[in-house]
Amino acid sequence: MRVSLGLIKYIALRTFFYIFTIFVALTVIFFLIRLAPGNPIENIIELMLSQGSVYDPEAINMLRNSLYEMFGLKGSLFEQYINFMRRLLVFDFGPSLSNFPTPAIELIMMRLPWTIGLLSMTTIISWMVGNLLGALAGFFERSKFSKILQGIALTLYPIPYYVMALVMIFLFTYLIPLFPLSGGISILSEKITLEVITNLIWHAMLPALSLIIIGTLGWWFMSSRTLTINTKTEDYVTYAEIRGVSENRILRKYIIRNILMPQVTALGLALGSIFSGALLTEVIFAYPGLGDLLWRAINARDYNTIMGVTSLSTIAVATATYILDLIYPLIDPRVRYK
Amino acid sequence: MRKILLLKNIYEIFKSIYLTNIKFRIGFIIFIIILFFGFIVSSFAPVDPTRWYTFPKDLPPSFEHPLGTTTMGRSVFWMLVESIKKSLIIAFTTAMIASHVGLFLGMIAGLKGGVVDKVLMMITDVFIVIPSLPVLILLVSLLKDYLNLYLLGALISIFSWPWPSRQIRGIVLSLRERGFMKTASLSGMPFFRIILLEIMPFVLGWHLINFTNTILYSISSEAGLAILGLSLLSDATLGVMIYWAHMQWYALMRGIWWWVVSPVVTLILIFTSLYLISIGLSEYLNPRLRQRGA
Repeated sequence: MRVSLGLIKYIALRTFFYIFTIFVALTVIFFLIRLAPGNPIENIIELMLSQGSVYDPEAINMLRNSLYEMFGLKGSLFEQYINFMRRLLVFDFGPSLSNFPTPAIELIMMRLPWTIGLLSMTTIISWMVGNLLGALAGFFERSKFSKILQGIALTLYPIPYYVMALVMIFLFTYLIPLFPLSGGISILSEKITLEVITNLIWHAMLPALSLIIIGTLGWWFMSSRTLTINTKTEDYVTYAEIRGVSENRILRKYIIRNILMPQVTALGLALGSIFSGALLTEVIFAYPGLGDLLWRAINARDYNTIMGVTSLSTIAVATATYILDLIYPLIDPRVRYK
Repeated sequence: MRKILLLKNIYEIFKSIYLTNIKFRIGFIIFIIILFFGFIVSSFAPVDPTRWYTFPKDLPPSFEHPLGTTTMGRSVFWMLVESIKKSLIIAFTTAMIASHVGLFLGMIAGLKGGVVDKVLMMITDVFIVIPSLPVLILLVSLLKDYLNLYLLGALISIFSWPWPSRQIRGIVLSLRERGFMKTASLSGMPFFRIILLEIMPFVLGWHLINFTNTILYSISSEAGLAILGLSLLSDATLGVMIYWAHMQWYALMRGIWWWVVSPVVTLILIFTSLYLISIGLSEYLNPRLRQRGA
């Protein structure tokens, strides 16, 4: 790849935007916490003590100190802000309040592989299948197949993932009991055997299906179909048709290649909501990922863990978007050589 | 399209969209029925629908209880109509705030251009990229004790203005290059008059679409938050119904399907009908879409 000035400028701009996004997001979180009425820390400690557990006063004092620092309530406003940023950037969220004194980040790390696994698999599958189906449906616009899919997509498009998850539960665990209602795995085993893997997939099936169906047939199908219909009437496609380029080649080289670029951008913009949707889908299925951790943390008023999941997922989504932005020049030569 | 601003023509325009666009028609009829249940039928509730144990619990749908009763002894039907009302109040609050903030910022960015545009769009992009749900979760969990319908709607609007703002800016940008805009600004027309008379007529239809889409966004956000237990749990909204039925009482596992299915089906009907209204409107405003059948 020839590195040009345009590319360097592009990467510099994206990097700046990436850092700026995280900075703004964390700043927003900081001020949200400061604006919240009451003193959350004393509430938390009161709550912990009222639950009947007996703690060493020394430990409670340490906790109080760490909480004041965590919630940015120590020192001047500027100091608070710097402290807050410093701790978030090294992922120090303090101890989990419901699993005292395990650090919140440890709990998060335990759940992370589940979420990343489910999310990346379903996003990749639904993005690819959705775009391919959309391109085909757009290319053969007048076929029956295209019209039926369009009708289904139109109905599914506005439905959020977690409502679909409930529909799936009703259909496949209540009406036709094919899949388990909840959980991530039902065998406890140290070794990874075929049985464990099948069990894992069997549990992941429904959450994955609800993410894929809405993703594929909703977002990516609709947008890629519209893009294809637009591209099909471009002059260069008409010219290629007249020149006698085969239909297959036109679809692959002239249309799909061109619709992929805006779709990569769209994926970057949609990651945030896909992530949110996946979190809630996990909650519905009690799938042991970040969403489930978050649900437990909210119920136990475990602010540290809530804060951890919140800031970590903000950083994660921004990072994923940034990586997509960096991949972009690889697909689009216009960015590369400008 | 300029005539859109004139009130006496609004009825005519509505009639022509309604008669020519089947998507809009279907969406509109479904939505009106939902509004009827939410705002008219709900006021005839024989009992306070949120009170516990007014009826025997876990009854399946029957003539007396059209959608059965819940484990907390509430009638699912009366809960449902009350929930529709409350969910829509939250959504209208969000839409009122977010779509107007978006309209305002988008117009300023598009008209002023230059640094103002760059800064505003950068902030807009940041808000699009930030995953809204986690931040909302943090926010609502901190404000849980102070929550009411309007506050919840306002909180959701923090993350729903960027899309309208981007869209309005795009439209204003394309308008700026048109001849009549140049004529207006060269002839010394004041800034606000330009906005009111030259831009508004074009933007208003899209504003209505943004309004509809923001309602959609708000209802789904509220339902999402409610599933996590972060809504008005002692009140009735569609999300809260799902929360009690699915997350707390495991209704499906116990075979009380009517408790879960009713709010889910209602949500799907609301989403689909609003979406149909929104694409019907955009097809009307942009006839090229209509030909493409998109």
